[in-house]
Amino acid sequence: MIIQIDTESDIPIYTQLTNQIIEGIARGDIQPGHSLPSVRAFAADLGVNMHTVNKSYHELEKKGVIKIVPKSGAMISPIDNINNETKQRIISELKPHLAEALVLGMGKEEIKSLINTIIGEMKER
Amino acid sequence: MSIIVFLVITLFIAFIQTVIPYLVKRTVVFGVTIPDQYTQNPTIKAYKKRYSISVALLSGIIIGGYIIWAFTNERLEEQVAIAGTIIEFAIIFISVSWYFYYHGKTKQLKSKNKWVENLKQVKVTDLSVRSQDEMLPWYIYLMPILITIGFMLYTIINYELLPDQIPTHWGPSGEPDAFTEKTPFSSIQLTLLLLVMQLMFLGIHIATKNSGIKLSATGLQSSRNRQLSLRKYSSWFMLFVVLVITMLMGYFQLTTIHPNIASDYAMAALPLFFLAIVLIGTLIFGLKVGRSDKEIEILEDEKIMDIDEDKYWKGGMFYFNKNDPSIFVEKRFGVGWTINFANPIGYIIVLVPLIIIIVISIL
Repeated sequence: MIIQIDTESDIPIYTQLTNQIIEGIARGDIQPGHSLPSVRAFAADLGVNMHTVNKSYHELEKKGVIKIVPKSGAMISPIDNINNETKQRIISELKPHLAEALVLGMGKEEIKSLINTIIGEMKER
Repeated sequence: MSIIVFLVITLFIAFIQTVIPYLVKRTVVFGVTIPDQYTQNPTIKAYKKRYSISVALLSGIIIGGYIIWAFTNERLEEQVAIAGTIIEFAIIFISVSWYFYYHGKTKQLKSKNKWVENLKQVKVTDLSVRSQDEMLPWYIYLMPILITIGFMLYTIINYELLPDQIPTHWGPSGEPDAFTEKTPFSSIQLTLLLLVMQLMFLGIHIATKNSGIKLSATGLQSSRNRQLSLRKYSSWFMLFVVLVITMLMGYFQLTTIHPNIASDYAMAALPLFFLAIVLIGTLIFGLKVGRSDKEIEILEDEKIMDIDEDKYWKGGMFYFNKNDPSIFVEKRFGVGWTINFANPIGYIIVLVPLIIIIVISIL
């Protein structure tokens, strides 16, 4: 799976990494049970600081997307049934974006079809 | 005899220096990052051509002069050697001067035409690229290391057999021409040097393996080809050199213990043979890696380029990037590796063994 970082973006590099890895899993480019490269290798291949990759891995672990096993690296977690707490977090993260879209002039139907398109690119679980 | 050796080496240097612009990474021209969109620019092509013609012509004149000088009169071996060394450095000096000249011109051209201003700079990697890496495993170095330890033990067991004067230097004909007093240390000095050198190569191998596989966003497939072949072939080549050196030094050590197995013919031919295969190996390596990324791909996104790393390359030659954990990175002018000067581990791997080697040799 190709990871592409925009160096001029306002979004910090570690966030770009986190988002692209999550999208990669959702698209099925990386499968649960597979492991991500070591922090050192990933950082060297991308030419970024090791802290950046480390920060992204910890963020992914906090979200429950990967599991960091000492010595053997970062493993993609199996897709489980979502718990209530996580669901609440996602709703509260999604809400402002949807509200912003509405306020800036997107129609409700337009948003719905956009969501459908995006989900369509992802793999069914 | 020595004129032929010098001619071969000099021709080799001249050839490599001449073709370098065509062997380096596609998106780096005279040490300057050029976006893939402009690498076929006519001025860029003209610069490369002019550099190569200038270096080839001047080298030809120098080498021709050397041949005429060497054959018009009877020259002493030393004179031939000194003059040969001077012309080798002269050719390197000339090509480096031309390099800097065109480095400046390319830099000007790039900023005048604002080639990078309108492009988005990105960094890219492939999560699966590591699994395609075909570098040799590190433990293959245990083989020559064990052989060296074997030579050491064999020397210690046969300490009685060793002559009172241990050879420490061999002349061009393969005959030892410098000696030292026999002590337990001096008897294994040569094998100790060999061991330190092997450990250095092992260190370089591991550091290279841990260094980044740098892909290009505008040429994913060709940059992958180049990086993977650079890694694979440099690990083969390094092991090959270590094995050949081990055989050479091992042979010298054995002839010290058992002078009767030494043949004048082998002693004279071995170093030449060593030189020849290292030169041929370098040539194959350089051409193989140098041509691995020359197939031009269709740009999927016209608006992006790889991050402009010029600011990390001092003079286009010395890499200094604190944020890159890589210890070695691909050279910008030439085929092979260069050190990331911002990473102290690189200095340790290269300098510490060299210091130990110097200390062992003067002890």
